[in-house]
Amino acid sequence: MQEENEHEPQLVSVTRIKCSEKTLRPTIPCILHFTEVTSVTGLEFLSQPGQEKTIRACYSLAWIIERCLPLKPDTGMEADVHNNSVPLENGNLAPVDRLRRDRSDSPTPGLVEGTEPGAGQDSAMFVHAQSFEDLTADGEQEQEEEVQVPEGGDRSERGPEVEKPRTEGEENEKMQGQPGEEEQEQEEVQSGGGRAKEEDVNSEAWRRHRKHVFVLSEAGKPIYSRYGTEEALSSTMGVMMALVSFVEAGKNVIRSIHAEGYKVVFLRKSPLVLVGVSRTRQSERELTRELLYIYYQIISLLTLTQLNHVFQIKQNYDLRRLLAGSEHLTDNLLRLLDCDPGLFLSAVTCVPLPSSLRDVVSSSLQAAKAKNLVFSILLAGSRLVTLVRKKDQYLHHMDLHLLYNLVGSSSSFREGEGWTPICLPKFNTAGFFHAHISYLEPASDLCLILISTDREDFFTLSDCKRRFLERLRRRSTYQALQEALLAPSYPVSQVGIPELRHFVYKSKSSGLYTSPEIPIPYQSEEEQERLMGLYQYLHSRMHHPTRPLRFIYHCAERENLLSWVTSGFELYLCFSPLGTKALAISAINKLLKWIRKEEDRLFILSPQTY
Amino acid sequence: MSIFLNLGIHQHIIRRNCEFHELWKLYNIEPLFSTGRNMSSQRVDAKVVLLGKEYVGKTSLVERYVHKRFHGGPYQNTIGAAFVAKPIQVGDKVLTLGIWDTAGAERYEAMSRIYYRGACAAIVCYDLTDSSSFVRLKFWVKELQNCEQQCKIYLCGTKSDLIEADRSIRQVDYHDAQDYAEEVKAEIFETSSKTGRNVDELFQKVAEDFHNSTAFQVMTEEREMDQRQRKSCCHH
Repeated sequence: MQEENEHEPQLVSVTRIKCSEKTLRPTIPCILHFTEVTSVTGLEFLSQPGQEKTIRACYSLAWIIERCLPLKPDTGMEADVHNNSVPLENGNLAPVDRLRRDRSDSPTPGLVEGTEPGAGQDSAMFVHAQSFEDLTADGEQEQEEEVQVPEGGDRSERGPEVEKPRTEGEENEKMQGQPGEEEQEQEEVQSGGGRAKEEDVNSEAWRRHRKHVFVLSEAGKPIYSRYGTEEALSSTMGVMMALVSFVEAGKNVIRSIHAEGYKVVFLRKSPLVLVGVSRTRQSERELTRELLYIYYQIISLLTLTQLNHVFQIKQNYDLRRLLAGSEHLTDNLLRLLDCDPGLFLSAVTCVPLPSSLRDVVSSSLQAAKAKNLVFSILLAGSRLVTLVRKKDQYLHHMDLHLLYNLVGSSSSFREGEGWTPICLPKFNTAGFFHAHISYLEPASDLCLILISTDREDFFTLSDCKRRFLERLRRRSTYQALQEALLAPSYPVSQVGIPELRHFVYKSKSSGLYTSPEIPIPYQSEEEQERLMGLYQYLHSRMHHPTRPLRFIYHCAERENLLSWVTSGFELYLCFSPLGTKALAISAINKLLKWIRKEEDRLFILSPQTY
Repeated sequence: MSIFLNLGIHQHIIRRNCEFHELWKLYNIEPLFSTGRNMSSQRVDAKVVLLGKEYVGKTSLVERYVHKRFHGGPYQNTIGAAFVAKPIQVGDKVLTLGIWDTAGAERYEAMSRIYYRGACAAIVCYDLTDSSSFVRLKFWVKELQNCEQQCKIYLCGTKSDLIEADRSIRQVDYHDAQDYAEEVKAEIFETSSKTGRNVDELFQKVAEDFHNSTAFQVMTEEREMDQRQRKSCCHH
């Protein structure tokens, strides 16, 4: 038994292990958190660094099977058992249609979808960007997840997989418990900054990271871990896979484990399994979406076809070989998920530009077309300048975020003209597009991405770029564009509301959002993440699958927040803690008027097609 | 919804629900009538491709040659491939080298053919301090010998500055490498992108060999023919 290959946990044989309680000391940190929470067994778990991994894995498996599953539902975490059986409407998480109907009596009836500030004049640029639509797109998976009592009933009345939609009361408790959590977060930030791959996975510091992400294959082989080396975590991942397949063997799907402020979220995307372990206050759904992003990131490099293919041929293939060198892309994406509101809003932001200037740029890009060219995207940093697409072809904002991430996390495109196969998973997971990626000038922030269907198209696209640049220069737009980019954003003071610190406004129909510069109190990285965390929290409350809200005024110690969702837009405001509710409400009107006045500049109102 | 998937010069419309393995097979098909014409442009005289295992320093080599600089920073892997055109003086002529710096990562291997197809020279790199990179080099040399016979091969041992600092870390013996080079009729250089040693010499050699090659002669003749034809057209 102990000689068993650690990469391929054999569930069947392991279940036969019988151990006395004293010898059951799994040293699997991730699962350990979970055991601490659900500590029904009262076992004492100590780490045993000297012990062989195989033994550890076996013990852990045995332990999980022996101890975890007979969890009683009354262990305190679930207050709302009945909601488990609430059927998901149309298999969708966001009951979109019902919401719309509910919201038709919106306080500003004029602002129906399509007429809100920032709404595009013609068709939208993106695939329609409803919040959470990315999860609903995976409806077939969600539908499976209704909880069934596993066979052999008395052993486990409910497996650990049950989802626990939380009541507002619970959320409030959570909010009160927040300060302590924040202290921890700050400590952690001090202790370790960037990626620490060599980190000891048995150390306390490793366990204290706010969010772990693991990717593994169905054979339990490690593919990616955010912290610590994959090798050191192979036994942990083996256990995770064992847990997933054990629950699946009972014709069930494990989605998450909630415990003592920790959430362990599982996303099963055959042939991969993604696991997130988080002690942020993000909802399970948000975490699942983040895992989905990581999944798509992997798909964008390989295509699902290739992924399936390699695992079809060899089930225990080590995918790290094919993904070599892409870890920093995933790391960077995880960072973006923490600090870029666009990723949870399902929206994209653009550089504020006079509309006349943007139109010239767009039409120059439009003119530089080629037969197989599908999308032309001009970026300035992580903001969109303009996007031109083939008629009837839409780019999904998720794909665009993946492109941002690709360009943003590599300096290799500054060396010359890049030419790379890329899969846009929301467009088609089966095939590659070919992207011509280059900066307009070596020192410039302006990056042009031309996406073609033909892998022989490099010089055609290179020529498109030359024609585009020529056209810009001929109309002396290039200089104007460079100058406009010196101020890539705007200060919130332009709005003229003194108490307002920051806001995020998303126009639903165009899938674009606008947001001022991050103000002084939030400029440090951890403060910025905290602010985004607050927005994200409000976002998840507003889009709660069973209890969506339209309007939240949230008073916290360091700021007051207000969020409002209508059929046309989503709005998140951050006020100084001294502001009052009345002030905040009056600020909304003023802000909306301001955005309406500036919409030419803040949004792309007339998207172009070839 | 049907999706365009491009297979070289042939376009197939493949339905989304197409069987995955079939799609894979389709996707791996090499174009039947590949001429390499598309991937080499008129503005380039000679297509040069860099091949080799990841982290051997292909990008650094190009960076040193083209921009005369060396990044000491953290390793950044190339995504896909990067193209740079660089003019070079040979005798009294100026040639333009179109240099393809390819990614070493395995996932781009299936794509590599479009980069070396029609190349007149391939610089296959290996890391002098990493014997596995030399094993990989042999793979690329075989690949070139099978698919691209007219392509001249240059072996390039990188990071020679590290060897100079500490001889014991050399893992690829100079004589072994030289023997292998003779066997496959390749030129061999040991370079350092950090100090610039042998880098210009390598590319100069590539350009000179191309200049003296038949391909170049044919090309210039064709051009002259073109010009003559044009002239005669003007006369009439």
